[in-house]
Amino acid sequence: MKKDMKNLIFILSACFLLLFPQIQAFDFSELENSVSEKTLDNGLKVLVMERHDAPVASFVTFCNVGGTNDPKEYTGLAHMFEHMAFKGTPNIGTSDYEKEKELMKIEDSIWYELRAERKKGIAADSVKLEKLEKAFEDAIDAANEVVIPNEFDNILEREGTVGMNAGTGMDMTVYMMSLPSNKMELWMAMESERFLNPVLREMYRERNVITEERRQTLENSPIGRLIDAMKSAAFTAHPYGISIIGHMSDIMNYTRDKALEFYRTNYVPSNMTISIVGDVNPKEVFKMAEKYWSRIPYSPPPDKLATIEPEQQGERRVELEDPSQPFIAIGWHIPEGTHPDFPAIEAMSDYLGQGRTSLLYNNLVKDKKIAAQVGIYPGYPGSKYPSLLLAYAMPTPEHTNEECEEQIFSEIEILQNELISAEDVEKIKARTKASLINQMNSNMGLAMQLASNQNSWGDWRELFKSLDKINAVTAEDIQRVAQKYLTKQNRTVAKLNTSGS
Amino acid sequence: MKYIKFILLGIILIFALTSMSIAQDVEKIDFPELNKIKIPDIEKVTLENGITLYLLEDNSLPIFNVRTRINCGSYLEEADKIGLSNICGNVMRTGGTSKWTGDEIDELLEGIGGSVEISIGTTSGNATVNVLSEYSELGLEVLAEILRRPVFDQDKIDLAKIQVRTGISRRNDDVGSVARREFTKQIYGKDSPYARTVEYKTLDAINRDDLVKFHKTYIQPQNIQLAIWGDIDKKNIIKLIKKYFGDWSIGSTEVPPPPKVDYDYRSKVYYAEKKDAKQSYIRIGHIGGTVFDEDYADRIVMNSILGGGFGSRVTDAVRTKLGLAYSAGGRYISNFAYPGYFFMIASTKPNNTIKAAKEMIKQIKSMHTNPPTDTEMKKGKDGYLNSFVFNFDTKSEVINRMMTYDFYNLPSGFLQQEKEKVEKVSPEDVVAAAKNNIRTDQMIVLVAGNKDEFDEPLTSLGLGEAETIDISIPSPENNQELEITPENLQKGKDLLDKAVVAAGGIESYKKINAISIKGQMLISTPNGEFGVNLQMMEAYPDKQFSLIEVMGSKMYDITNGNTGWKTDQATGELVQKTENDMIDVNKDFSRNVILLFKESDNPSYQTVYNGSGNENGQAVEYVALVDKAGEIICTFGFNNQTYQLVSKSYFGTTQVGEGLVIKYMDNFQEIDGAKIPMTVETHMNDQKLMTLKIEEYLINPTLPTNQFDKP
Repeated sequence: MKKDMKNLIFILSACFLLLFPQIQAFDFSELENSVSEKTLDNGLKVLVMERHDAPVASFVTFCNVGGTNDPKEYTGLAHMFEHMAFKGTPNIGTSDYEKEKELMKIEDSIWYELRAERKKGIAADSVKLEKLEKAFEDAIDAANEVVIPNEFDNILEREGTVGMNAGTGMDMTVYMMSLPSNKMELWMAMESERFLNPVLREMYRERNVITEERRQTLENSPIGRLIDAMKSAAFTAHPYGISIIGHMSDIMNYTRDKALEFYRTNYVPSNMTISIVGDVNPKEVFKMAEKYWSRIPYSPPPDKLATIEPEQQGERRVELEDPSQPFIAIGWHIPEGTHPDFPAIEAMSDYLGQGRTSLLYNNLVKDKKIAAQVGIYPGYPGSKYPSLLLAYAMPTPEHTNEECEEQIFSEIEILQNELISAEDVEKIKARTKASLINQMNSNMGLAMQLASNQNSWGDWRELFKSLDKINAVTAEDIQRVAQKYLTKQNRTVAKLNTSGS
Repeated sequence: MKYIKFILLGIILIFALTSMSIAQDVEKIDFPELNKIKIPDIEKVTLENGITLYLLEDNSLPIFNVRTRINCGSYLEEADKIGLSNICGNVMRTGGTSKWTGDEIDELLEGIGGSVEISIGTTSGNATVNVLSEYSELGLEVLAEILRRPVFDQDKIDLAKIQVRTGISRRNDDVGSVARREFTKQIYGKDSPYARTVEYKTLDAINRDDLVKFHKTYIQPQNIQLAIWGDIDKKNIIKLIKKYFGDWSIGSTEVPPPPKVDYDYRSKVYYAEKKDAKQSYIRIGHIGGTVFDEDYADRIVMNSILGGGFGSRVTDAVRTKLGLAYSAGGRYISNFAYPGYFFMIASTKPNNTIKAAKEMIKQIKSMHTNPPTDTEMKKGKDGYLNSFVFNFDTKSEVINRMMTYDFYNLPSGFLQQEKEKVEKVSPEDVVAAAKNNIRTDQMIVLVAGNKDEFDEPLTSLGLGEAETIDISIPSPENNQELEITPENLQKGKDLLDKAVVAAGGIESYKKINAISIKGQMLISTPNGEFGVNLQMMEAYPDKQFSLIEVMGSKMYDITNGNTGWKTDQATGELVQKTENDMIDVNKDFSRNVILLFKESDNPSYQTVYNGSGNENGQAVEYVALVDKAGEIICTFGFNNQTYQLVSKSYFGTTQVGEGLVIKYMDNFQEIDGAKIPMTVETHMNDQKLMTLKIEEYLINPTLPTNQFDKP
């Protein structure tokens, strides 16, 4: 930082401290008291938070399954299943289930034949292949005749559902939507039904949709590919190194049986949490939950992953070439989200790279103007297991990845060698507090956060304790984690270079 | 026995019940009445200076929010300064105010976890405040400062421009944005304020004065509405608003309304090539409408049925049934200020492009011929009506909508009226809306991607030959053709004379026979900047000596009349300069500023005025030095107010090759009457190569007689 600015900021900070003494605490008890919980016999956790501002409610089904549960040769299957969860049940999505069952069996058997022939590679019989491909398309068309497409969505939407969506991460899969609060029973009935009796219809067409999604979000995105490449280099053993959407070859390898097997193993109530926030009555909610969700029998939750990423022995480097503009992404190994160091890592990330007053923004964007954007993100691509601290920079037109890299390392060195001031630590806490309070303003946000904390910590109350954890972080902690984790040996550097340059 | 049989029967019965159609069960569920929607109490106050306030108290969380709507937009920019309003909005926030610098504001806000942001869009400007309510007053003060008293610090203008330049350089990196941008240009016209894009040239033309003027003209209290909601006390807020905004004098600018759109309906295919695209992006459509149109409510239902996600015709066909795309859908957009556009998009792998496009066209056409089914009407109508409550689920939504409706003179019950209209929409109405608004035989089809990989040629759409759109980004070079006219020659001479005066006067230069420079050369490399010591002497008109010491070795470059020597970079040996070297040397001398100023009264000099522009953050006038053949030797940029030398540019060679070289002069010091730049930064092809920082500059030093001989 420039000397003048440093002096000025010191003065401002001193005034700040006088005016606004350390009151970063916040009384969440009112919010906490509006939450009720219940566990059904089958292990399903039910969380309800009352907010009676408007006659609406948000609903989240949070499943403790994600990309890290993908079986070998079937990467991306967790994500595929998320798509399939919208395809309906024996009674929703088809005009004739009995006929459909038969037609799907035919699809499957032709698919197995086709897949086997394709696996022969150059030894495959091209005539046979062509015949099978046509038969496969015909079988799909035949099965589609008895499909009522998107009926699951349609029923919910015409009853007033908005924001219906789902997302798959490496650690979890989440299904969410908001409804007028008087339609709570509809959600209970439909949502429990699709996890009790999913029918994976239209799977082979949906597989093509997923290849398009992969093309759109990954292959057509040079920055997406870069971060993907960085992640693959950083993880040699743990599945965090594999893209959530899966390898193209694996996607083309999916079978319906494998997807069902995945569902049976992972989508068990003991592995799921439902979270409802809005204009609802907890007693009613629990009654409905019993009525509809108890239909799913108990199953033990799947085992946690055994694979542990071994310690990285030295810096790794990746280079990609592309006609697009340059970009740099760097990842350092950090522990899992529940590790005692994590709050300090989050505080450090805020100070280092989040916001206009962060070290990286000041240096690369404002001062040297070598980057148009910089950022830091702790816990990529997940945080259930040890993962990465991600740093990235987008160079400005006259500048390079190398310049940005040098300045990023230079700022990290400063962070490692100099303790940050007490004022700056207070500011980090102030930001965390404001951010957390703002999050309390949304039904959907709260439903998500409650379920997520319940899932990660086994206790939704941790949401309200997160500020206390950040408040306990000291300047020494921040320096310690910077020194411990942001080392050369621990990092993987990936650069997107403009081809022809 | 009887008992067991009965129980068994019972069990079977229960199973049967649970496997009964849920779809039917769902229809049978008796939903309770929806709880009443609480319409929040919003107080509206208009100040004397025209500012309109909207206030909503909500003490559920200690948060304070403001959203400002400013009646101005990029449509007000001049065509040669596209990007001006965006930069203005940006620098109003970052460039500091009378009270605080931009960096101080950043520290202040981030220190409390708050934010104040401002941006200017196409037809309106938007400023927001979000702070914990204990800091409400501070939030309002910062807002008032950035709106009323921005100082537009030059460094932050430069920063904003770099960010925009970054955006320009990257605007073809993503196929989807290429498709969207080019489609929008075809709808509104490439020069229309609703479609035009900032270019390097228009960006360079923007200077600080422009920003000050735009701000002064449009950011006036009678153009401002403020919506304030959260943990507030209305009386207190009104007091604070009066404190910080009350003495803001009403302005007199009459803001013209956004221009009308003249659309030319046509059936045409457009192609934007992107060879590395892994997916093609297809956009089909034409002009759209506004919320003031008679059948606006019918179109809401129509949109849902045609392209509104799952259950709609385009999404179901292109994504679900055919599996061609992850993203497929669209709608007929009804804007407030100017017509929207009707569009359908799909992105699919290259060899499904034509298949997908044909299916999209088929589904669009079906809206004329196939009336909506019961299921479709349920989606379009019931979906809207049953989710109506979500228009009121957050305070933010309600208050902001009120502000927008007010601005467009829509009645406060507009939304309710819309709902009542939707309730009455029939399948016939939907078909009529489609027939009246979607001209299926006059749609444009824009495809961005790589046609070499398409399943069929674009002509198979049956809409004729595709027109290829050039999406290349115009270079930043000033490509003006030099016009050598008596006026320009005279103007050039006048400018040069003024520059010489500003630089110390011709006499200060005529007396210069030789100079000696000692300094540091900071060379930019991929591994960072490193400094080397430089010694340089010039004896006019044709002798030059330079010595660079780097890592213990000496690099010479010497010219002595019509001969010279230099250290070969590869071998480190001293070699004689070649013919080509000497030609370069002569060119260099012809560009020498000291020589130029010395001889500025020489009538045979051709100095031609070549327009105005922007160099290194300063507004400059260009003077081109032209040889007898009319070729430009080099171009000087003189500050348009002080006539100080800012830049010198030419096409030449440096150690990294050939290209457009620009030197920026700065840090002027007076030495023996002459104003000499002590910092010279050399750029080539937009990359900074090196910076010369002069530590010692001597005029007419005593030089050894063999100074320019072979060492």
